[in-house]
Amino acid sequence: MEPLITVKNIRKVYRMGEEKVIALDDVSLEIYKGEIICFLGASGSGKSTFLNMVAGLEKPTKGEIYIGGIPIHKLNEESITLFRQKNIGFIFQAYHLLPMFTAMENVSLPLIFQGMEKKKREKMAQATLAEVGLAGYGNRKPTQMSGGQQQRVGIARALVGNPKIIFADEPTGNLDTHTSKEVMEIMMTKVREFGRTLIVVTHDRKIADFADRIVTIQDGNILSIEEKAKVI
Amino acid sequence: MNNRDLISLAFRNLLRRKTRTILAIIGVVVGTSAIIVMLSIGFGLSASFQEQIESYGNLHLVDVYGGGGGGGGMYYGGGGRGMAFSSGGVGNEGVLDDKSLATIEKIKGVDAVSPKVQFYLSFGVGKYIAQASVIGMKPEVMQKFGYDLQEGRLLEAGDKYAMVFGNQVPSWFYNPKKTWGSSWGGEAQVDVLTNKMIVTADETYGQKQQQRQSPDAEKINYKEYKAKGVGILANPNDDSAYNVYMSLEGLEIIRKEAAKARKETASNSRGYESAMVYVGDINDVEDVSNAIREMGFQTSSLNDWLKSMQETARMIQGILGGIGAISLLVAALGITNTMIMSIYERTKEIGIMKVIGANLGDIKKLFLLEAGMIGFLGGTIGLIFSFILSLLMNTVLSGIMSVMLGTIGGGGSTVSIIPWWVAAGSLVFSTTIGIIAGYSPARRAMRLSALESLRNE
Repeated sequence: MEPLITVKNIRKVYRMGEEKVIALDDVSLEIYKGEIICFLGASGSGKSTFLNMVAGLEKPTKGEIYIGGIPIHKLNEESITLFRQKNIGFIFQAYHLLPMFTAMENVSLPLIFQGMEKKKREKMAQATLAEVGLAGYGNRKPTQMSGGQQQRVGIARALVGNPKIIFADEPTGNLDTHTSKEVMEIMMTKVREFGRTLIVVTHDRKIADFADRIVTIQDGNILSIEEKAKVI
Repeated sequence: MNNRDLISLAFRNLLRRKTRTILAIIGVVVGTSAIIVMLSIGFGLSASFQEQIESYGNLHLVDVYGGGGGGGGMYYGGGGRGMAFSSGGVGNEGVLDDKSLATIEKIKGVDAVSPKVQFYLSFGVGKYIAQASVIGMKPEVMQKFGYDLQEGRLLEAGDKYAMVFGNQVPSWFYNPKKTWGSSWGGEAQVDVLTNKMIVTADETYGQKQQQRQSPDAEKINYKEYKAKGVGILANPNDDSAYNVYMSLEGLEIIRKEAAKARKETASNSRGYESAMVYVGDINDVEDVSNAIREMGFQTSSLNDWLKSMQETARMIQGILGGIGAISLLVAALGITNTMIMSIYERTKEIGIMKVIGANLGDIKKLFLLEAGMIGFLGGTIGLIFSFILSLLMNTVLSGIMSVMLGTIGGGGSTVSIIPWWVAAGSLVFSTTIGIIAGYSPARRAMRLSALESLRNE
């Protein structure tokens, strides 16, 4: 099977004044379509840097990244934004909902950026909100919702545009254990249901256990890769 | 993003930080109003200059004098209100005859030309008399000179002793047996259009003997002519109001016979002593004057005067507008500042939008739109505010304002005029200023790293 994402020998070095910090040393990896993969590592291990580079938010110092054959490391910011708009959904630790918008408008955002007309996108947003169990919450502002609800809005926002890949950076970092489990379960179910590829970054072993494959990162290098039996 | 979403998003962002938006808008309001009001005072000034000069005479009229002769000695206008700005010819003496008048008539912009003879005559209607300056012109071209009638008709071809009275002249008739000297300004005691009328060159016509300047002087037998008033002009202000118009032919006869009676030697001058030229478009007056001067004649027109006054008005307007422009510049800085602040505040949000898939162009457009909206809203409110201010200046404050501006030379009826193009222009201008002010912040927002939003602080 052709991999969806191919990462070849990427290296990322940050300059901190005189000092060089090696965030990623030499990482190569292939990620397949429909896979749920988790990057596990302590803070400062380089896992977030890896995610940022695959999402095209940062450029690697060295190495190549291909998504569906497109060389992400070569694209300029303009085309990479367009690429993200069409292919990538994001779930953040701090939810990052826009405070002046309602839940429905927040979910609609990716569609708004695509230039979709109002009726169509509101229908889609409504449907996606219902998928994550928030039917009827559409008119609430983020401040009127709990953390778990906000993150579910975040998940809906990542799903709504039908992106091929969804990135989740510490998706439960701000949630308590019980809500974390709830949110993870919803996320996993929906991602599998829609047949998306999910890349989760976390430091929490319990969260990592939800994944098909766990990649442990330490000091900028892959320490181990754990394959788990695919649950389909 | 489609345009509707962009506009609604920009609008919501402005509403989100109301105080700051309102402050930025107030800045633009002040700047726009300052420019508009200052310019409007300039326009008002310019218009009142024109109004003032129009009251001295007809701006369409160019008086032409034979080279070197006549001009200096001519007395212009009536009632002592006249004012003329004479410009000398090139020096070579031109002869003002029918041939040269025909040439003048061919100059581009000239609508009508007539020789002009001016003579002082006495009018008698029953026991009432009046003296007035009479202008003899070609009766058939009078219609082309743009005179407005209050009553009756203008001169027509074939008129000889028909008279068209200036607006003020009919009120000059007085009864010499009752009043000493002339008492002007009363109700017209005679109807110059219907009553029988006598004209004569005798300045003492109908007056008591003892009023004669030199009782010993030889009695001169002036001829009396039967005349008929045919029209009264409408304009009570310009110098036509103080003249009487009749046919050149009739006036020449009266003049020649008067000269004969006074035993003067008829001046055998070549051509006419002066002529009047009517220019349809005021803007052509200067060109026409120049062309006539090149032919070797002297010209005088109120337009020369108006031009220099308008230049003054324009200069004042430039200074006033400059002061206004400075305040709009300050407002522009205010917009830039507002937008930069807003970017700092929204760094995270911009990052999220970028990560979620907002195009760089959309982010730039969003910020430009917000800045443009501040400019447009400020401009609109400023425009409304300016109209109110302008109205106040023209009504309530007009007394105070005209005293203040009187020193600069204004003092017309309207202090402030806002032409439509200034109104429209100010909206375009304030919006443009907003967009220019928002440009650098918008670029900054566009270039902001999307990563900022991913930092979990």
